Amino acid sequence: MSDPNPHPALMIEGLHAGYNGPDVLHGITLSVPKGQIVTVVGPNGHGKSTLLRAISGLVRVRQGRVMAAGEAIHDLKAHQIAARGIAHVPQGDLLFPEMTVYENLLMGAYCEADRETTVRRLEAVYALLPRLKQRHVQYASSLSGGERRMVGIGRGLMAGASVMMIDEPSLGLAPLVIEQIYEVIGQLRAEGRTILLVEENPARVADLSDVMHLLDDGRIVWSGAPAEMLDRGELLSTYLGG
Amino acid sequence: MDVFFAILVTGLTNGALYALATIGLSLVWGSMGMLNMAHGAMLALGGYVAFTVAATLGLPIWLGILSAALVGAVFGAVLYLSVVRILLKSGGPGFETSVMIATVGISIALQNTILLVYGGQPLRQPFNVQGGIALAGGGVMPMLNVVIVVVSIVVMAVVGLVISRSRMGRAIRATAQNRDAALLMGVPVERTYLQVLALSGALAGVCGVLLSSVTQLSPTLGADPMLKAFIMCVVAGLGNLPGAVITAFGLALIEAGVQFGLGARWGFPVLLMLVIAILIWRPNGLFGRAQIRRM
Repeated sequence: MSDPNPHPALMIEGLHAGYNGPDVLHGITLSVPKGQIVTVVGPNGHGKSTLLRAISGLVRVRQGRVMAAGEAIHDLKAHQIAARGIAHVPQGDLLFPEMTVYENLLMGAYCEADRETTVRRLEAVYALLPRLKQRHVQYASSLSGGERRMVGIGRGLMAGASVMMIDEPSLGLAPLVIEQIYEVIGQLRAEGRTILLVEENPARVADLSDVMHLLDDGRIVWSGAPAEMLDRGELLSTYLGG
Repeated sequence: MDVFFAILVTGLTNGALYALATIGLSLVWGSMGMLNMAHGAMLALGGYVAFTVAATLGLPIWLGILSAALVGAVFGAVLYLSVVRILLKSGGPGFETSVMIATVGISIALQNTILLVYGGQPLRQPFNVQGGIALAGGGVMPMLNVVIVVVSIVVMAVVGLVISRSRMGRAIRATAQNRDAALLMGVPVERTYLQVLALSGALAGVCGVLLSSVTQLSPTLGADPMLKAFIMCVVAGLGNLPGAVITAFGLALIEAGVQFGLGARWGFPVLLMLVIAILIWRPNGLFGRAQIRRM
């Protein structure tokens, strides 16, 4: 299938961003080609989540550009960026606690006007995450941590987005549940989805990723193939203390 | 038996009015963390708009109710665009306090504007409904009270349906429960806030007309119901709409019972003591789950 749009799904150039104080990100440049999984690893508190929040408009971009399929989106508001097909599965899920699983998923498709498309996506999400179908009338606040994470991912999928950004899907989960979550992300990879993934532990995502970036203190200090990163033990011990 | 019916009629009527006032407040409080101190003045505004349409222009009263709802909605929207939006942008964690103070000011300004235009003498709302419904056991519920209760319940049912079933309602609830997540879903949060304040304004308008039909029109007619609506909001639990309705009817019936049993002056003190007891027993309110940070 030839793609009429030659631009990468997501392209970030010289991005500076921060909260109230000084910049947290100091000139991030990376691109997410269509159909690939690009992963950003690095120690906690060094700007991985801020990067995703800046792309999705929750944090203001102070300098640099964010392009989605060739169009600049960094001046748009968060809800407009979501409507452009950038789905952000945030850290800690940020579900709607007093809505059912079903309603949470429906909210994911808020920008989709066509009912049938929404229903089709819902069926696809239930097929991928059968647990959610069993729990569909339960309030999100009553779910386990792993189930909540699945609702977060399912809600992201409901957007039918061209790029999905997933922030630390393993955070705070038991090892067995982490395996289940990464199994799901593996399936998304098999479906050919475009994903920008953030994770602390490089070993966990090496098999999934096409390209890995190491983010330290708001800068990308190394980029390359996953196998290369794991081979360079000194890199990991310097930055991740592993 | 007569006393029983008197309590029932008063309790139900007041309950309907309190409930209508309460959900207008609760909606705004629950979704934006905003205590709208101007809600009472907005009730008065609704009453006077209906008076102008029905008494001055001589149009039918249902048109007056509709106009009150419309003017209320417009007032709510203007309140958002001119004041609340700016406070939200600059306020941050101080928003809850600053918006409370700002709406107190707006309330005073609105009441005095009404005073300037209509004067201070009480006016009678031309809301003439004759007759009554015979109740089992010999009691009679005046038709006016029946209309108030029915209109309130219909309006609340419509609001309930909008909030629970519609896309707009889902967006309102989503914004209330997690603003950032709502933004990430593509919900234009500012537009949602505008809708909430407009909806609340429309509710205040309708409530004001019904209220002024049992009392009289005066610029401060909304003050007492708003105070009680605040209490009911707190007792029901932050932003819980069905809970607010049940609480409003329950407390109104108790208040009416105390007023008839012990005398009118005991109604409010007993209500307050009850509220204190309830809040000691359940600090999050009767129907409150764990409190959610709204902002």
